[in-house]
Amino acid sequence: MKTIKLQSSDGKIFDCDLAVAKCSGTIRTMLEDLEIDESSEDEIIPLPNVDGRILRKVIEYCNYHKDDPTPIATDNDDNKEKRTDDIISWDAEFLKVDQGTLFEIILAANYLDIANLLDVSCKTVANMLKNKTPDEIRKEFNIKNDFTPMEEEQVRRENTWCEEK
Amino acid sequence: MDRFMEQVAIEASQMYVTEEGKSPFANTTIEKLPDKVLTHIFEYLSHLEICRMASVCKKWRQIAYDSKLWKNVSLRPEISGLHVGSLESLLALISVRFGPSLRYIELPIELITHTVLHELAAKCPNLTHMLLDFSTAMQLHDFSELQAFPAKLRYLCICLSEVIFMEGFMRKIYNFINGLEVLHLVGTYEKTDQEEEEIYEVINVHKLKAATPNLRVINLYGINFIDDSHIDAFSSNCIQLECLAVNFCNKVTGSTLKTLFQRSKRLKCLLMNGTNLQSEHVMAVEWDKCILQELDITATDLSTECLIDMLTRITTLKFLSAGQINGFNDSVLKAWMEAGTCKSLISLDLDSSDNLSDETLAKFITRYGANLQACILSGMSHITDQLWMTILPILKQAKILIMGCNERLSVNIHVDQLMDAIATNCSKLERLELRWDPENLRFSDKSQKAIDLLRVKCLKLRCMVLSDGRYYELVKANFERADRMTVVRNTTCCRVSPYYMLQNYNDLVFN
Repeated sequence: MKTIKLQSSDGKIFDCDLAVAKCSGTIRTMLEDLEIDESSEDEIIPLPNVDGRILRKVIEYCNYHKDDPTPIATDNDDNKEKRTDDIISWDAEFLKVDQGTLFEIILAANYLDIANLLDVSCKTVANMLKNKTPDEIRKEFNIKNDFTPMEEEQVRRENTWCEEK
Repeated sequence: MDRFMEQVAIEASQMYVTEEGKSPFANTTIEKLPDKVLTHIFEYLSHLEICRMASVCKKWRQIAYDSKLWKNVSLRPEISGLHVGSLESLLALISVRFGPSLRYIELPIELITHTVLHELAAKCPNLTHMLLDFSTAMQLHDFSELQAFPAKLRYLCICLSEVIFMEGFMRKIYNFINGLEVLHLVGTYEKTDQEEEEIYEVINVHKLKAATPNLRVINLYGINFIDDSHIDAFSSNCIQLECLAVNFCNKVTGSTLKTLFQRSKRLKCLLMNGTNLQSEHVMAVEWDKCILQELDITATDLSTECLIDMLTRITTLKFLSAGQINGFNDSVLKAWMEAGTCKSLISLDLDSSDNLSDETLAKFITRYGANLQACILSGMSHITDQLWMTILPILKQAKILIMGCNERLSVNIHVDQLMDAIATNCSKLERLELRWDPENLRFSDKSQKAIDLLRVKCLKLRCMVLSDGRYYELVKANFERADRMTVVRNTTCCRVSPYYMLQNYNDLVFN
C-alpha cells in the first residue's frame, strides 16, 4: 500500500499509509491541491501546526479507526444524539492522558479536520465538566475568574431561571 | 505496522511525563481552545449544565449564550426540560439567547401568553417546530390581545386538556398557521382513569381544518371526542394528506373512510389502533382504487369477512399492524396469500392473534418472509422458539423482531439456539424484543457463546429488550463488556414497535 510522509512542526518525519492519512480532511485537501496520488513519489506533507509527539498519537488513532464506516452526514444534525456515555474503551484508554496532551489532541483534530477524533475528545472534556460547580471547574482547569463581584452576581441572576425545579 | 505500534507503546509511556514529572504540554490549557471547539464541547451538555458554565469566566459566558446552543429548547420541566420561573426571564431569553437560531420550542401552559408568543414571532424568524402543552391547564390565559404568532411553523403539536376550550386561543392563530404540514393534537387518553366523565369538544376541528390546507401529516392521538365527522372535515380541505393517525380515538367507527379515500388520493398511511372500527364501514371503502401502503388496525373488532375483503383488495400494502383482532384467523391469512396482495409487505405485526395457527403462520412467512424487515409474532403462547427456528432462516432482511408472550408457558424456550439462529440469519437486525417470562428461558454454559455471536454478527443492533431476570443480566453484562452500553434494556423501560418502519416516522414522533 502507498505510504506518504508527514512532517511535524518539530521537523520529525512520519511514514503513514495513504488511507490512514486520508482520515484527515485537511490532508485530503492538501493531497488534491498538490495532486499527489498513488503514483507520486516521496512527497512530504508539512504539518507546521502539529507537534511530533501529538502527530504520532493522531496517526495511532487514525490507524485504529481507518476502517470505521463514515457516518452518513444528514442535514438534520439537530436530531443527533448528544450522549457522552458511548465512548468505546479503546478510545477512552487512548485519551487517558494529562490535560495538556488532551487539549493538544483536540487542537490537532480540529486543525487536521478529523471529525471522529474531535467528537470523542470533546465528549471526554464534556464529561469532565459535568456535575461540577463553576468553582470546581476553575480549579480543575486552572481558569481565572475574571468577573467582578457585581458581574458575578449578574450572571447568577441571568441564570437563576434555569435552576432545577 | 506491528513494529510501529510496539514503538508507540514504548514511547507512550515516556511521552507525557518529562523528568520533572511534568507534561511537555502543561502550558496548553483549556483556554487555548478556539471558541468553535468550546461550543462543540458545550453541545454535549444539557441546557442546565450550559447555564452553569456561564459562571466560570467571561469567555465561557459568551459561549454559553451562543444562540447556536439554543436551537431546540424544551421548557417543560416534567418532561426533562428546563424550568423557567417567570415570564420576564423567558422574554429576556427569547430576545438575547434564542433569537434567530431557535427552531423548536416546547412551552408549558404557564408560559403560553400573548407576550411570549409576540416575542417569539418577532425575534425568532426560523422557528418552524412548536409544541404547546395545555394538558395540565385549569384555565386558559386571556388571549384577547394576541396579535402575532410564529408564522413559519411547519410542525405544531397541541396537547389538549379535557376541560379547557381552546377556541379563544385558536381563533387568534388561524391566520398564522396556513403553512402547517404536520399537526398533532394529543388527547388525554393515557390520563383518564374513570370512564363516565363528560366529554367536551375542546377544539373546533371544522374551523381548524379551514386554516390548515397544506397538512401532510395529521395525528389525532387519544382524543375522546374525535369521531368520523372530524376525519371527514380534514379530508374535505387537506388535499396533500399523506398520513392520518387516529390511534386511541375510540369514537371513530370508519363511517367516513370511503369519502376520505375518494378525496385524499395521496393517502399512504392510515393508523387506527384502538378505534371502534365497524366492519361494514371498512368494507364500503374502495380499497382497490387507493394507494395505501401502511395500515394499523390493531385492537379493533373487524370481522374475518371484512379482513379478507380489505386485504385482498389493497394491492400496495407494505406495512400491516393487525394484532389483537379475534377475526384475524387462518382463513384470512390463506385468502391473503391466494390473492397475492401481500407481496410488497415489509412489516407485519400480528401480536396476540390467538386464532392463528403456527402452521399457517409458518407457511405465510416461508412464502413472503424474505422481504420482511419487521416481523412481530408476540403475545401468542403457541408460538415458541420452534416456529421461530423454522422461519428465521427466511427472515434475512429483518430489522425489527418481537417474539414471546408474558404468560408462563408449560414448555421452555431454548434461548441459546434461538440467539444463534438470529445471529446467523439476521445480520441487519436493529431492534429485538423477547417477551417470554424469564423463568421460561432455558440457557446454559453455552449462553455466552451464543450472545457473543449475536453481538458480533448483528452490528447494527441498537436495542434489545428482555424481561428483567437472570438472562437479562447475562446479556446486559456481555454487551457492556464489549462497550455497547446502551443496547440491552428491560421491558419495564422500553418497548419495541414496528412504527420505526413508517415512512413518516420522524413527523409522527411527538412528546
